[in-house]
Amino acid sequence: MKSIEYNEQLERDVLAALSKPSPWYWVALVVCALLFVTGLSLWLYQILKGMGVSGLNNPVGWGTYITDFVFWVGIAHSGTLISAILFLFRAKFRNAFNRSAEAMTVFAVMTAGLFPLIHLGRTWFFYWLFPYPNQRGLWVNFKSPLVWDVFAVSTYFTISLIFWYTGLVPDIAIVRRYATGFRKKIYSIFSLGWTGSLRQWWHYNRLYVFLAAFATPLVISVHSVVSWDFAMSIIPGWHTTIFAPYFVAGAIFSGTGMVITLVVPMRKIFRLEKLITINHFEKIAQTLLFTSLIVTYSYIVEFGLAFYGHHQFEAAHFTYRLLGDYQVLYWIMLFGNSLLPLTLFVRKLRRSIVYLFIVSIFVNIGMWLERFVIIVTSLAKDFDPYAWGLYKPSVVEIGITLGSFGMFFMFFLIFVKVLPVLSVTEIKEEAAHE
Amino acid sequence: MDRRNFLKLLGISSGTALISSCGVDKANEKIIPYVIPPEEDIFVGNPAYFTTTCTECPANCGMQVTANEKVYHDVRNIFPTKLEGIAGHPVNDGALCMRGQASLFRLYHPDRIKRPMMRDGDGNFRVTTWKEAYAKIIVELAAATGEGKRNMYFSGRTTGTMSGLTDDFCKEMSVERLPEFEVFSHANLKKANDIVFNRPEIPHYRIENADFLLTVGADVVETFMNPVASANHIQKAKDKNNLSWYHIEPAVSLTGVQASKRFAIKLHSEVYLLAFLLQSLSQQNSLKKSLPARISRLIPDYSITVIAERTGLSEENLRLLLSRFANAKTPLIIAGGVSTAQENGLETAVFAALLQWATGMTDNTVDFDHAENYGSVGSMLDVRKLEDSLKNKQVGVLFISRTDPVTYLPEAEQFVELMKNTRLRVALSDFMTSTVQECDIVLPLSHSLEAWGDAAPRKGIRNVIQPAIEPQYDTRSEGDILLQIMAQKSGAASAQFYNDYLIDKWHSLYGEGETVGMLERGYREEPVPSLPAILSGDGTEAFLKNAGFVVESSDKPVLVITPSIRAYDGRSKVLPLMSEIPDPLTTITYGEWISVSDKTAKKMGWKDRDEVAVELNGVSLKFPVKVQHLLPENIYMVQRDLIYPQATPVDSRSGEESWYVKDISVNATGNHIPMPIMSGSMHEDNRGLLPPEEEEHPYEHKEEHPVGRMYAPHEHDNYRWGMAIDMDSCIGCSACVAACYVENNLAITGKKAHLNGREMSWIRLEPWVKDDETINYDLMLCQQCDDAPCEPVCPVYATYHSKEGLNTQVYNRCVGTRYCSNNCPYKVRRFNWFDFRLPEPWDKMYNPEVSVRTRGIMEKCTFCIQRIRHAKDKAKDENRLVQDGEITTACAQTCPTNAITFGNLMDKNSRVSKLAHSNRAYRALEELGTEPAVHYLPKKESKEEA
Repeated sequence: MKSIEYNEQLERDVLAALSKPSPWYWVALVVCALLFVTGLSLWLYQILKGMGVSGLNNPVGWGTYITDFVFWVGIAHSGTLISAILFLFRAKFRNAFNRSAEAMTVFAVMTAGLFPLIHLGRTWFFYWLFPYPNQRGLWVNFKSPLVWDVFAVSTYFTISLIFWYTGLVPDIAIVRRYATGFRKKIYSIFSLGWTGSLRQWWHYNRLYVFLAAFATPLVISVHSVVSWDFAMSIIPGWHTTIFAPYFVAGAIFSGTGMVITLVVPMRKIFRLEKLITINHFEKIAQTLLFTSLIVTYSYIVEFGLAFYGHHQFEAAHFTYRLLGDYQVLYWIMLFGNSLLPLTLFVRKLRRSIVYLFIVSIFVNIGMWLERFVIIVTSLAKDFDPYAWGLYKPSVVEIGITLGSFGMFFMFFLIFVKVLPVLSVTEIKEEAAHE
Repeated sequence: MDRRNFLKLLGISSGTALISSCGVDKANEKIIPYVIPPEEDIFVGNPAYFTTTCTECPANCGMQVTANEKVYHDVRNIFPTKLEGIAGHPVNDGALCMRGQASLFRLYHPDRIKRPMMRDGDGNFRVTTWKEAYAKIIVELAAATGEGKRNMYFSGRTTGTMSGLTDDFCKEMSVERLPEFEVFSHANLKKANDIVFNRPEIPHYRIENADFLLTVGADVVETFMNPVASANHIQKAKDKNNLSWYHIEPAVSLTGVQASKRFAIKLHSEVYLLAFLLQSLSQQNSLKKSLPARISRLIPDYSITVIAERTGLSEENLRLLLSRFANAKTPLIIAGGVSTAQENGLETAVFAALLQWATGMTDNTVDFDHAENYGSVGSMLDVRKLEDSLKNKQVGVLFISRTDPVTYLPEAEQFVELMKNTRLRVALSDFMTSTVQECDIVLPLSHSLEAWGDAAPRKGIRNVIQPAIEPQYDTRSEGDILLQIMAQKSGAASAQFYNDYLIDKWHSLYGEGETVGMLERGYREEPVPSLPAILSGDGTEAFLKNAGFVVESSDKPVLVITPSIRAYDGRSKVLPLMSEIPDPLTTITYGEWISVSDKTAKKMGWKDRDEVAVELNGVSLKFPVKVQHLLPENIYMVQRDLIYPQATPVDSRSGEESWYVKDISVNATGNHIPMPIMSGSMHEDNRGLLPPEEEEHPYEHKEEHPVGRMYAPHEHDNYRWGMAIDMDSCIGCSACVAACYVENNLAITGKKAHLNGREMSWIRLEPWVKDDETINYDLMLCQQCDDAPCEPVCPVYATYHSKEGLNTQVYNRCVGTRYCSNNCPYKVRRFNWFDFRLPEPWDKMYNPEVSVRTRGIMEKCTFCIQRIRHAKDKAKDENRLVQDGEITTACAQTCPTNAITFGNLMDKNSRVSKLAHSNRAYRALEELGTEPAVHYLPKKESKEEA
């Protein structure tokens, strides 16, 4: 049983992050905001000029935008995994990461959700993808995986947001205690009159468990649906039944990577070393290693299917993926996703924060490339050799991609300054159990 | 305010707002009523049709113009929107080549000369009036005659009434009419026929009567004489006489790869082959007419081994050719193109003519009575004569009409200098060509769709040229100009209109009733006196005695300058559609290239797009490489429109210019030039686009797949539209592609878009190299699959399956996810990456039946749904079903060989059903289970022939 002093010290440590930001914070925020605004302007330019400002072309109808979409949905996943699934499994190390992971989920889904709109030829009619009653008697095509996407992503966003917010309520109540003036008012509103009474805790816990249980299958379903965007087609390299588990594993893998990328600097800047310990990192590194193994297994299975399938188009496609125009990207991907994480079998490396950070960056790059390679190489050379063609992202696509990173990090930076980055209540709870 | 009043007020105000907002646009729109209704029976929405003649090349095909009434810039007018061949026309029988289709781009070309111009004191062109220009011409003509100089009229090929009028004009104005200038003058052919038959003409080859056709260098389906007619007749002969068609060429051409068998022959050795054939056939006594001894003894006699060595043809192939000739009832040999435009060209043509005579062709397949109208076309010798006259300052006024010598002559600079030795240079032209730039007076010509006229492509045919649109600019027809100059000189108040002149002429020639019939049909066939071709022993003997046979011993690289199926001699290069459509052999669209043999490329390590510097005639030209299969080593090819004219030897006997530049050297520069090659790969690799081969491919998986279905198959009531494409008939001319562009308002996207892989063609010709020996084609368009992969993936039902089996694309509903295109295994869907609108005034040619797509939406072949709609409406009015043959798609309509058959697959008796169920039929990528509605009939293997 820890003392009251410990609790107050904990609150102060966590809430210290909410204090007046340093100039470096402002620089980071402005850079991110600028990237975001640039991305938005480029999108506007694309809407006014046409999709031709991208590098997309005749065989390759999807490229960077869909890669970004899948990438960001993937990033979103580990948030839910860490907070919901690990919560259900009572994995204590999650407390160090869950808040930022959940925030990451919400921001990543927001970012991801923009890309299907960005890649539309006529963005201004995006609402036609929703089944709403109208006089013209027009309806959406429920056979199309893109319609499934609409439901999958919007459901996922809603649940993630509610889950995140529910977990925040007791902490916002703590912040309310320390805040003054106008801020206090805002926090008061969002704390929903939380008093910390037993009755409230009882309800809270029931709701949290329910949401966690509700969000868990979504992790599986959302990315399965995203993978079906590809698997439901007939394109060699896309049309395969392993895509759903393969993509779910990939999503969790990439999300875990992104959590490490975000938490390492956050821990350093806000001096949370006491709360987010090396043991926590080791646990998350183990998750990374485990999912990396699943992903690697999927890569092998993909090639195995092509090899044993004796299907001309599949065989030609996987040969192309390995040795064709985009082979450099594929090999970088294999290095980042399959080879480098293997080093985490070594305990020393697993416990090196710097090393983990480097690995996580490679995982991020590798997973982005994985989606890019799957999407682009499959389209570049499919059935009719006459129609083959290569794709190269244009400045606009690269700008919008950077803009999406700007958006994500901008939201994350705002988050760390306005909301507690760690779950105070859960750490208290954990401490109380010790 | 109570509720009642509020609702009343709301109703009134919103109603008023609605009414007033409706009015605004209408008030601004100019409505021009018919004060005088048009003479033609034009109804809004119904197109008008005119018969006229295509003037894009000298073939002069009969052309039916579709003109639609449209409001353009607030003015209601009728605009030609589509050009098609006249069905049953003796020249082209309903078909029109891609250049002819694209002629609309000439009509509406923004760069046309719009008003008469005269050079002022500073040497700049200024706009002038016709009267002023004529006055100047008349004064100068008189002054020149006064000085004792000769005035000259130098024009492109002219036939029909215009030729007579030009003669009248020249007589009246004391102008000398020069032999006409055509790059493809076929001078050696004419000369050879002069030598052998005393007929300096190019006969009409009746391919349809042949059962064996040997084309020697003549690119009969590309530019030689009338490619549309040739293709059409080849198909007729295939159907009628089971024609086998062999092609012999030193390089490689589309014609060559389309023949049933193609032989590559060593440079300049065609004459040896022909001499051998003649001599051997004569020894075998297989000739229908035996050659007089004084001729046959002059024909060199070589053993088969020597000939095999000299020509590069195997002895087996030589024997095959001999047996073909011996066994054929009506063989036909056509020499021309690359084989006659060379140093041995005249000899080749003479031997071909002798072979023609001796195998009995002159009776029914080589028709001198209906000879092609090339009589007044001169050769390079005539150009030299003109240059001499210019050099000696003998020329006063020089008229240059419809021809561009400065662009086409190798000695352009010298010619420009020489032109300055005249008093006045008058250009009659539609474009500011290099020649026009050097003239003093520019008289802009109307397009043939804006003018009256007639044409006589060959003896016995008179084609009508009648306008389908008023002149859009201050331009006039050549006939009007000449009549007006004559009238102004004689002081008449007004000149006779050329159309009145024409009608007078027609009346006097044919009578009034016949003239009306001719105008309706668009042509008139007239009997010509029959005069059999008789061998001229003296001429032939004299020629053979002096003939020298060049043996090409050097193995230095040689450049062949070939005609271009897209640009002809270069004149059609201004038409943007001709750059948009890929060259059928290389699939290159925009820009220039040099074709390099695959063997050379392999040896040198060159790849497509590597830049090479070609040293020739002392200059260095740079081209990107296109690796060309089937091209013999050391032979390089550049199309005529992509290289400025090279000084090549001119045969002093005939005036034919050689198309070969010898002793060139080609070296890589190390640069890479972006070049739009539309084909991603020319290797089909047994993927199922061509019919499957017998031998097992390592990856080929040929088991029957059980078909599982989640949804019930589509049901069709009365119609399921389908297509059968006979690749044995298809000659790769790409006329269908051009027809599709014009009919369906396809976008011209330009070079940059093509480099980025953003062409918009709905139909394309795909060449496949097989075993490095043959090139086979398939014609790819939307397969209108019954189980279409594009349909289930569209989230908004923008593409769905119609009751009639069409994959309908609803432009209005499309949001542009491009998923359908990704999922299309045939990759025939096209996305509008930008707003690809045709710039003004080309947008006048838009077909009002088809919507112009905006940016962000997908499009693809619709099977010309607008034509289906029309036919169905008509059938409904008549309370019946659409009959077989009632609908043709634009591509099928213009096909010279009728390779494309469109119709209803539900009708078991329709032509398309029968073809689809023939045992030759296969479908592209059938293994995928997409159930396409397009059925292919493969090219018949030449192996079977041999």
